[in-house]
Amino acid sequence: MSASKVIERDLVVIGGGPAGLAAAIAAKEAGCDVVLIERDRILGGILNQCIHDGFGLHRFGEALSGPEYAGRFIAQLKGLDVPVLQNTIVLNLSSDRKLLVSRMGELTEIHAKAIVLAMGCRERTRGALSIPGHRPSGVYTAGAAQNFVNMENIMPGKRVCILGSGDIGLIMARRMTLEGAKVEAVFELLPWSSGLPRNIRQCLVDYGIPLYLSTTVVNISGMGRLEGITVATVDDKRQPVAGTEKFFPCDTLLLSVGLIPENELAREAGVALSPITGGALVDADCMTSIPGVFSCGNALHVHDLVDRVSEEAERAGRAAAAFVAGKLSSGGTGVSILPGSGVRYVMPDHMTIPENPEETTLAFRVTTPKRDGVVRAAAGDTILKEEKHPRLHPAEMVWMRLSVEALRELKKSGKALEVSAS
Amino acid sequence: MSENRIKGEFTCVVCPNGCFIEAEYLEGGSEGPKLLSLAGNQCKRGETWVRQEIETPMRTISTSVPVHGGDFLLASVRTAEPIPLAKVQDVMAEIRKTSLNAPLSIGQVVLKNPAGTETEIIVTRNVAAAG
Amino acid sequence: MTDIDLNYDVLVIGAGVVGCAIARELARHKKTGGERLRVAVVDKEPDVSLGTSSRNSAVVHSGINYAPGTERAVLDVKGNAMMDKLCGELKVPIKRIGKLTVALTEGDLPGLHKQKNQGEANGVPGMELMDNAKMQTIQPGIEGILGLWTPTSAIISSFGLTIALAENAHANGVDFHLNYAVKSIARPGKPGDPFEVRSADGRTCRSALVVNAAGLHCDEVSAMVGITNVKIWACRGEYYVLDKRLDGTLKTLIYPVPGPNDPGLGIHLTPTVDGNILIGPSAVYIPEEDREDYRATSAIMADLRREGLRLLPDLAASDFIRSFAGNRPKQTPPEKGGNADFVIEETSVPGFIHLLGIESPGLTSSPAIALKVKDMIVKHIPLTERTDFVAERPGFIGTFSELPLEQRMDLIKTEPEYGEIICRCEQITKKEIRQAIENPLGVRTMASIKYRARAQMGRCQGGFCTPRIVRMLRDEYGYRPEDFFVRGGAPMFAGNVRSEKGGDAR
Repeated sequence: MSASKVIERDLVVIGGGPAGLAAAIAAKEAGCDVVLIERDRILGGILNQCIHDGFGLHRFGEALSGPEYAGRFIAQLKGLDVPVLQNTIVLNLSSDRKLLVSRMGELTEIHAKAIVLAMGCRERTRGALSIPGHRPSGVYTAGAAQNFVNMENIMPGKRVCILGSGDIGLIMARRMTLEGAKVEAVFELLPWSSGLPRNIRQCLVDYGIPLYLSTTVVNISGMGRLEGITVATVDDKRQPVAGTEKFFPCDTLLLSVGLIPENELAREAGVALSPITGGALVDADCMTSIPGVFSCGNALHVHDLVDRVSEEAERAGRAAAAFVAGKLSSGGTGVSILPGSGVRYVMPDHMTIPENPEETTLAFRVTTPKRDGVVRAAAGDTILKEEKHPRLHPAEMVWMRLSVEALRELKKSGKALEVSAS
Repeated sequence: MSENRIKGEFTCVVCPNGCFIEAEYLEGGSEGPKLLSLAGNQCKRGETWVRQEIETPMRTISTSVPVHGGDFLLASVRTAEPIPLAKVQDVMAEIRKTSLNAPLSIGQVVLKNPAGTETEIIVTRNVAAAG
Repeated sequence: MTDIDLNYDVLVIGAGVVGCAIARELARHKKTGGERLRVAVVDKEPDVSLGTSSRNSAVVHSGINYAPGTERAVLDVKGNAMMDKLCGELKVPIKRIGKLTVALTEGDLPGLHKQKNQGEANGVPGMELMDNAKMQTIQPGIEGILGLWTPTSAIISSFGLTIALAENAHANGVDFHLNYAVKSIARPGKPGDPFEVRSADGRTCRSALVVNAAGLHCDEVSAMVGITNVKIWACRGEYYVLDKRLDGTLKTLIYPVPGPNDPGLGIHLTPTVDGNILIGPSAVYIPEEDREDYRATSAIMADLRREGLRLLPDLAASDFIRSFAGNRPKQTPPEKGGNADFVIEETSVPGFIHLLGIESPGLTSSPAIALKVKDMIVKHIPLTERTDFVAERPGFIGTFSELPLEQRMDLIKTEPEYGEIICRCEQITKKEIRQAIENPLGVRTMASIKYRARAQMGRCQGGFCTPRIVRMLRDEYGYRPEDFFVRGGAPMFAGNVRSEKGGDAR
């Protein structure tokens, strides 16, 4: 890169959604010079279109809508005079923390001492699912439909089926119903829902919308606009069972089939990524394999609750500020943290434990639903922490605090930390 | 009128724990539904929730109102307090008749006591005047 | 519908790559004597290039696959040689990456030698037989005992070429009538009087000569003038598009040695000029009533995924970003298979020229086919080259993000909208979207914008940019929800959530 205009910055936060906002605020409060880059015309990210309530129960003890939750952070950011570049997109990130930044009338290079990656995630599309059939109009990801309905005043369709019981799909089932659409059903490939129980209740049960588990779409019909879909139940290998096909007429199919952390910039820069989460491999400070590059929020791993995104991002923001100030003890991969039986992945991937550790938090997801479950953090045969959970569910991220004592013991053992669920 | 003994499953939505609660209750009695037993709730709020779910389920609803002269076409709105589930369509019908003029700020009241529910409809998005 | 009643010298039916190439070739000419040659292209779709021309492997073939002396052999080699100049004038990306046809076993060798002999007879330049060691210098890791290297094989944007031909023809005076589904062709007067070509929605064009370049429907169009002894079968090819993450994996085109009765060239990997990789195509004859049934089928999708994983072991599930299908217009019935030669002739109906079975290598051959058709037209209407023909498309056409940084910075200063990114995955700017919206043919479906600007073609498949393009069309071009179409007959939306007027303003 050899741009004519080069700007030097201490910390650049990429993304003005909930993660980027919280990271920028935390870094600024820690005394760091920070600039926030947002590709949209407004701050708040996906929260702007999440007009339903339920955000902030942990953090504020209130059930706020998405824009309200974002609004509190935006107000705080403005109060701190953090410079924000809106309608601005990062085209490229290099391993030495140089960013190529594009906005109306301007292509600029920024050199940063530290970077927080908070780009969020994108939706899995039909292409990734390989659903057979035609390619009619009327097939949308649930998030795109949410944007049309809540931001642009556009109804995608009137008779709706939804594939995937992720939260956005459930929320859209209710939203479309309230606006006069007929939502025929929600279909879920797995034998359990991937959405939060509260959303099953409030978005489907309340409105009499059936949820078909272990069911998937096997054909899409319609040469112009969507005319209907064929669904079939699947066996325990998730393969459609012949003879179970059923046709549902509809003009709209919403896909709520998973989110993918947005990490093209990270990949180009050479950040090591997890094949399981699609996000960066980080330490307990949210620092990636490139020193000074941090990751948080849905760009790191897909969260179920925004409150947790904010908490994690604050950790990343504080650590980035410490890095800029030369106060972050880093180096070496330290202790590895591994998913054990019943656990899909654990965040962080590794950590360095200093002489005087502070309490730390592990975030992870279980592989299958469990009643009266137990989660366990162990170093070899030594159990460092054990917690009972009346209900464990893959849709719900588990957060586990590790005490100073547990960390000391882990360090002494010299073993990897393994998190398991049973 | 005969009383029915019902085994119901409830997901508490009061907090993010989303407790899965199994409850038994009587329905159809002269004094209204009667809770007999419950299991699975992690706190007292779960019981309150189940009682409410049996008697009068309450919900917050969110939707949009068109805005004139703003930098957005729609302002998102919600009920300030939960309303009876049974009233959702009536409240929606009242909101549907409404439109607003920019600028708008979060918390601004759009409607009072919609469909006789003792709450307000409030704006949940700041909308600046179109520039 | 506007009731048009226009008179032409030549009317081309079908706005695929062949129809548009003919139109552009004719646009280079005037009638000997100085009068303008009046040319029109009609197509049933709302844009050019929506049929087979946008649904193929986008490969420029060298000419080794076709029996010497056939139209396919002659036109392919000739068309291939014309492509560099044509793409230069029209600013269409083409990459001469060459091709290796690879014999994996001793059993493949006779087939490979046959290809080489055909190539020699057809005048294919630069061919070379390569042993495995030599092949490694072109594609590291390649397997096979012997390969035939054809350096003139290339990749191109097939819809890019078709659109460019159409726009350039249009700029030079050719009329395009879209959404014009030909319903009947009549010659009410005596032979020599103009044909009347009527559309399903009641429009009529009159033309002295008619060129049937209707691809999958060419037999149906010929039947309208009474030629009923020709027949087309549609043979579907399904593809997957792979993520650009794998760009650079393939240095060249790699094909297996084709079997004698294969209807296509076999499932293989094809890099695209945009940096994706295609897996495909399959070859399955489809029921006659569904010639444009482009459905993806689960069995073939599974085959393609398996084949993709065999050829690219590093492939992840998330790398499959889209599937699509294209249908070949075949003159050979399913029970026969294989290929028949192109038919390009003036028919028993004087003044009616038809082109039958223009499947592969139709894309490569298109400029040569256009010359051949022009020569047929000259027999009716003597033509002279125009001096005022503008061969180049004006302005910057290409992908802005692929320009060198300094050049981008300069362009942004004069055109600020080059700084605003609308399609994140492909890094397509607002200026490029605007150019696509304001295309010379006046076509504004989402597919039209996609094919012109590449927006919606990336890994998020429009999740990010579609709402932004919708907003742009609404706020800057006055679109209402009912005005948005993906393609013809494919409306995007049901309406507004709320009446824009709302109730009483407070």
